[in-house]
Amino acid sequence: MNIENTQSQMRKGVLEYCILSIIKRGEAYPGDIIDEMKSAGLQLLEGTLYPLLNRLKNAGILTYQWVESNSGPPRKYFRLTDRGFEFYTLLETTWNELATGVETVARKTNEIK
Amino acid sequence: MKKVININFQGQVIAIEETAYEILKQYIESLKRYFSREEDGDEIVNDIECRIAELFGNRLKHGISCITDEDVESIITSIGKPEDFDTDYEASTETASERQQAATAGGSDETTQPKTEEHRSLYRNANDRIIGGVCSGLAHYFRTDPVWLRIIFVLLFGFLFWVYIVLWIVLKPKALETNVTKRLYRNPNDRFLAGICGGMAAYFKIDSWIPRVLFLLPLLLNLMGMISFFPLNHLFGDVHFSWNINMSMLVVYVVLWIIIPEAKTVKQKLEMMGEEEYIRSIRERVNDNVASAKSRTESQGPAAGPRPAGNAASYAAMDTHSKEEWVSMEGTTMDTMDTMPPEPPAAPSRVTTPPSSERPGCVNGLIILLKIIFFSIVSIFALVLVGLFIGFMVAGAQLMPLKSLFIDPGQETQLLIASLVLIILIPVVTIVIWIIRRVMKAKSRPVIGIVATVLWFVGFALAGVLATSVAEKYKVESSGEKTITLAPVMSKKMYVEMEPYTEDYAEFKAGFGIGMDIDELPYTTVNEDSLLFRDIHLQIRQSDDSLFHVRTIAASRGEDLRSAKAAIGQFSYPVVQRDSVLVLPEFLSVPVSQGYREQSITVEISVPAGKTVEVNDALSEYKNNQPPSVVRKRIRRYSRTYTPGEVTTPDGDSEHTATSDSI
Repeated sequence: MNIENTQSQMRKGVLEYCILSIIKRGEAYPGDIIDEMKSAGLQLLEGTLYPLLNRLKNAGILTYQWVESNSGPPRKYFRLTDRGFEFYTLLETTWNELATGVETVARKTNEIK
Repeated sequence: MKKVININFQGQVIAIEETAYEILKQYIESLKRYFSREEDGDEIVNDIECRIAELFGNRLKHGISCITDEDVESIITSIGKPEDFDTDYEASTETASERQQAATAGGSDETTQPKTEEHRSLYRNANDRIIGGVCSGLAHYFRTDPVWLRIIFVLLFGFLFWVYIVLWIVLKPKALETNVTKRLYRNPNDRFLAGICGGMAAYFKIDSWIPRVLFLLPLLLNLMGMISFFPLNHLFGDVHFSWNINMSMLVVYVVLWIIIPEAKTVKQKLEMMGEEEYIRSIRERVNDNVASAKSRTESQGPAAGPRPAGNAASYAAMDTHSKEEWVSMEGTTMDTMDTMPPEPPAAPSRVTTPPSSERPGCVNGLIILLKIIFFSIVSIFALVLVGLFIGFMVAGAQLMPLKSLFIDPGQETQLLIASLVLIILIPVVTIVIWIIRRVMKAKSRPVIGIVATVLWFVGFALAGVLATSVAEKYKVESSGEKTITLAPVMSKKMYVEMEPYTEDYAEFKAGFGIGMDIDELPYTTVNEDSLLFRDIHLQIRQSDDSLFHVRTIAASRGEDLRSAKAAIGQFSYPVVQRDSVLVLPEFLSVPVSQGYREQSITVEISVPAGKTVEVNDALSEYKNNQPPSVVRKRIRRYSRTYTPGEVTTPDGDSEHTATSDSI
């Protein structure tokens, strides 16, 4: 059992939820998402973000538009589609259930009889 | 001290250290390789490039004059290397082993060839194609130079045509990067006509006059042979000007012209010459360029004339560096740069473009014309092949009733059916499968094409086996004879009549009146227990004694002498004498199980001196038939005096047979 593997498995599961949470708040370009994640203390390699966004876009969950930038090439600003909102709501429910459940299980200190 | 170069990266002009640029280039290559597995991989790489360009822009805005190795390293760390992606997030569709492969490929040194292509499956190469990209796709699969496969396909055109078509249909096109280090190209820098000889010279590392002379050798020999006073004429006397060999040399040249691509980009030139060789030649040229550029800048002075507006930014960016550095870096970077879209600012690149790679217009037109001619010939040929194929199918269906004449029931019939099913059904099924998969947008499965092709050729192999076993039945020809002496005939003349077959009989028909001589075909009796042949030959000769004799010689083929003899034993051809009338049956009848084995019967009537025969007109056709060779030998042996001219009237008076109305 490899600890790094387990850790990455755990992170992987919530990555999409995190990204969608950020984009849900408004249009965001990958740089924003990275900054948001970093400031929240979640480590994310940018190289893994782009394929993920691409896949979400292909699945019709995200859509984007080009916005000119004065500090470099034009940027892709992503936002959720209607389907994306549905998808997000489902993820949110699952996450809340999961978070409460995991919390409850992990916090229990009494021994099992 | 480090050299700084300007690159145009995602539309931004970036001043970057040369070493940092190399690191960046390798990194982007590794990303490209990694994401090539992904749908829209190019787009992802492009997004990442945009991001890198933005980060560069931020850095440069903060007053740093150029991008250093450390900057690039830190950006790479924040974006991550392909091998890091795998532990963090990976596509759910991939298996662990593939991930492992990709990771090693992504992390491997840039100079080694990418060993692990995506799945290493068979595609048509959309990047490098003459017709459909099948050959270069195959070459990619086998990691060879497409030129060799193209040559094979051209040489074995008739045989591989269908393979090509099937592959063209079955395989999915895909833009493939070349995966061989060395390839045969046409050399634009060393050419006389198309650069083929120059390319060969570069490929085999020989002087370019050697292939040229080889190509012109037949012509030279011919010319020498034509000059009659040439002292060595007797040596070349036998070599006549032959259009054949000269034309074939020309055809070879044109075909090579079409199938060998021209080395246009630097990468291709690298592949053409082998890397070390090319780098050396570049170095030489760069040195020349630097020298010439130096002298020019000196002569022109600092005011180098008005600059194109688009380059103002790049010139501004380089203001911090000396002009000479700008010029000297051109030689090394402009060439290596062209993998990075878009192209670097165009104006200075004139200094370093390799010597004229543009063809003059007329040559270009000629090539297009030749290509048009070539492709129209090929397409006509292809149409003819398709037509023949359909024709064979229709004819095959029409000839089915004749099957029993040549093919035994049982094993041979099964062979026939199997081979027909494979040959006809496989292409149909394959096309249907392909259409269905296209409609369903299923992923291309090259294995289907391969299996179909193999099965198709198995069909041909079975047909070959069948043809051999059928041909085997005709191997041995045999004959057997019977002689009967007729009762003395009182009158001076004997009449030979035909006894018409009184029952009904059915003809074997090929249908649609397909060009088949019906007389050659046998008939079958109504209850289909016997075959009726008309291969009957009538001969008349002088008798050795005073009596009429009738000799019947039966002939048949078989796989061995015994079976041929057995077949002859089953013949039924009763010759009957009624007083002065000799009656011959209309048909030779054999059991239906024999099939068609070139069965024939020869009737030889010996006429004594002083008597004549009169042959009914109904039999005249039989009289003119040529008996088979095995029978002719017998006739010659037994009747040496026999000559066709004197047969019917041995005693001289020509009461010839034309009077058919005698009965």
